[in-house]
Amino acid sequence: MVHEVETSDEDLAAMASAGDASAFEQIVERYQGRVYRLACRLTENDSDALDVLQDTFLQVFRHLASFRGESQFGTWLYRIATNAALMHRRARARQPAESLEAFLPRFDSSGMHRQTPAELQVVARAEELLDRQLLAERARDAIRRLPELYRVAFVLRDLEDMPTVDVAEVLGVEPATVRQRVHRARLMLRGYLSHLAGGAA
Amino acid sequence: MSDVTCAAGVERLMDYLEDVLPTDVRAALEAHVARCPRCMAFIASYVETPRILRQATAVALPAEQQQALRVFLRAYRHGAGTDI
Repeated sequence: MVHEVETSDEDLAAMASAGDASAFEQIVERYQGRVYRLACRLTENDSDALDVLQDTFLQVFRHLASFRGESQFGTWLYRIATNAALMHRRARARQPAESLEAFLPRFDSSGMHRQTPAELQVVARAEELLDRQLLAERARDAIRRLPELYRVAFVLRDLEDMPTVDVAEVLGVEPATVRQRVHRARLMLRGYLSHLAGGAA
Repeated sequence: MSDVTCAAGVERLMDYLEDVLPTDVRAALEAHVARCPRCMAFIASYVETPRILRQATAVALPAEQQQALRVFLRAYRHGAGTDI
């Protein structure tokens, strides 16, 4: 019995680069779901996400020959997809989204949390208190309202679940910078979810 | 070193969770949290936040869009004869 070993991304990239159409299609198949999900998390709506999806694979196809294997193929592809999503957003004239700053944690003059433990914990009940569809819409809206630097770092690190060092590589910044941006995003989003769940309670 | 405030603790939370804090800072933070119900509650909700949002935004690419992408890319590869 022959066990088929899955061809590595890097091998597929080399084959596709040499003109193997089926290798390219395998790359698309392997990554299309992840790229689409990432694009949805970084753009305004589904139609923008589909544009980014197409654009990403066009660029992957065009630039396959320049992939040298210095980074992992997945990281390289995520960088292309992230940039495609950002370019797409910037190309659009958007009304500025309302800031999430108001949802940052609050402390009294001695540096103690202003809220009670019960109030601080209400986030954990967001899923039971809120309708699934509503939560999905609000989640997307909240992520869209983050400052761009925070949003991208948060989406890659926390939603795509990439290690901090990989996010740093995609964004071309230090891991400490990624941590700082993700932290700010988490604080705002935590406060926002808390507000949502508190309002629904 | 033992008088960490909630505010100071929150500022270091990400670094704490990624285990990049110096040992003494880490110990001071843990000592504070151990006797601060507010920080315990805050940390629980801080950790939950990404998970809730990850699930809420986990969309799948519809099959017809997969097909559309395939058609689009094939047309591009075969089209114009310039960029094969």
